[in-house]
Amino acid sequence: MSNITQKGGDEAEFAKPLYTPIKRRSFFMYAGATAGATALLLSGCDDDDDNVTMNNGTVSLGSGDVGVLNYAYALEQLEAAFYAQVVATPYSGITADERTALTAISKHEAIHRDFFKAALTAAAPGQIIPGLNPDFSKVNFSDRNSVLTTARTFEDLGVAAYNGAGSLIKTNDYLLIAGKIVSVEARHAAYIRDLLVPGSFSGSDVVNAQGLDQALTVTQVLTAAQPFIKETLNGDNVGK
Amino acid sequence: MNLFKIISELEKVDPEIMDRLTHRRSALTALGDLSKKMAMAAAPIAIGSAFNKALGQNTLTTVTDVLNYALLLERLEYSFYDQALKAATLTVPLTGAARTAIETIRAHEMAHVTLLTSALGSAASPAPANGFNFGTAFSTYDTFLTFAQAFEDTGVRAYKGQAVAIKTAGNPNNVLQTALQIHSVEARHAAHIRYMRRGATAGNQTTIMPWIVNADANGAPAPVYGAGNPVATFPAEGNVAQGGITNLTTALGATYDAADVSAAFDEGLDSTTVTNIAKSVVVF
Repeated sequence: MSNITQKGGDEAEFAKPLYTPIKRRSFFMYAGATAGATALLLSGCDDDDDNVTMNNGTVSLGSGDVGVLNYAYALEQLEAAFYAQVVATPYSGITADERTALTAISKHEAIHRDFFKAALTAAAPGQIIPGLNPDFSKVNFSDRNSVLTTARTFEDLGVAAYNGAGSLIKTNDYLLIAGKIVSVEARHAAYIRDLLVPGSFSGSDVVNAQGLDQALTVTQVLTAAQPFIKETLNGDNVGK
Repeated sequence: MNLFKIISELEKVDPEIMDRLTHRRSALTALGDLSKKMAMAAAPIAIGSAFNKALGQNTLTTVTDVLNYALLLERLEYSFYDQALKAATLTVPLTGAARTAIETIRAHEMAHVTLLTSALGSAASPAPANGFNFGTAFSTYDTFLTFAQAFEDTGVRAYKGQAVAIKTAGNPNNVLQTALQIHSVEARHAAHIRYMRRGATAGNQTTIMPWIVNADANGAPAPVYGAGNPVATFPAEGNVAQGGITNLTTALGATYDAADVSAAFDEGLDSTTVTNIAKSVVVF
């Protein structure tokens, strides 16, 4: 910003259309303005948390849209790891239909995870969070009820997380992507719920009297997800 | 429920559309007789040029536009399930858990109508004076479920298609979050209807999953799963390109089936395409 201000005397020159021949002096002026704008942009992105992993094992999700992408990436990592385990060690009594559907869900979540990693690599490679270590010690993967109850928690939480984060997203393309994913999570949630309790696909514990699904804040979601993740996640600046 | 948004738009452009459509009903009946002999998916009922007249202005630029669009879709859905629960042809098959599920969905659609009407206040469009006529949709249980799937999947796509419009309009009173909260409920409905179709009563259609695999219509009108306009923004459900990555089956460091990639993302639809889907299956 200071660069631009210092060039204030050249405003008329600055406003000239780009197709006029650029004199050497004004070329440097453009270059200076660009550098100033870039510095401004970067400072807006970085804050003071560009070290995504702190010494104490805390992982910062970062700020702005990058923070939202990391937030989604963290949740998808958790879901993908969970279903990978479900598919690798199916619960006793699993039916062929259930195995087919749960395998499909595990693929969807792995695709979501890998997609967010690719999107972050393209948008902000220096701010991408690392692979997280899940903690599924409280899940009994040989027991149908334990597995499906945990799956229900993750799916309903995912829906509520995306619903709550939509308004934090500044970039239209990211909002569209989030919208494309949240309804698939809702379809998963409905299916898992029907497996646990037939007809509970949109029960009153998740859909209120106004016909609205849940929407949770970043803090609420991370509090619910934290017991399943070994690292401590910090989402204080997500969307800010 | 973008279907409904379309209808309210029509009313704005042509306030007497409902009256004029009613007068055309005798002509439509003749068309209907012909279509009875055809499969449901091939039974388009032409609403006439009034729709097309409005389509030229089919850009939803204000939040009021979007909410009225949603209101019309929700009214249509509520009416669809309400008529189904009262249809004599469905009394026998629509019992037990199936009936309970449809009653649950109907209650949610009613709640959405109430919520949107309240939010719009005096700006709310009136309900269509002559209600909705779903033609042969209730003739059999299978047909009913096929229509229901088409409406729910379209509803999901329709809400999704308006998210950016709400954001661009300034997202007053956090309307975007409310729309998302309705949107995911519609997705839950869609998953359950698909689960019901999968069941024995509907003919053991075990290829039908709770999510949309490729652009498979499963007997529903094919356009529901096709592309919108522009295609770049509203691709068909078989799409495997997302976020500027042209093919997620090979671009993510692992190899995935196109079926799984397509199922992992639901696609949005623009209001014009939703309108065209609506007018192929609904008579006003």
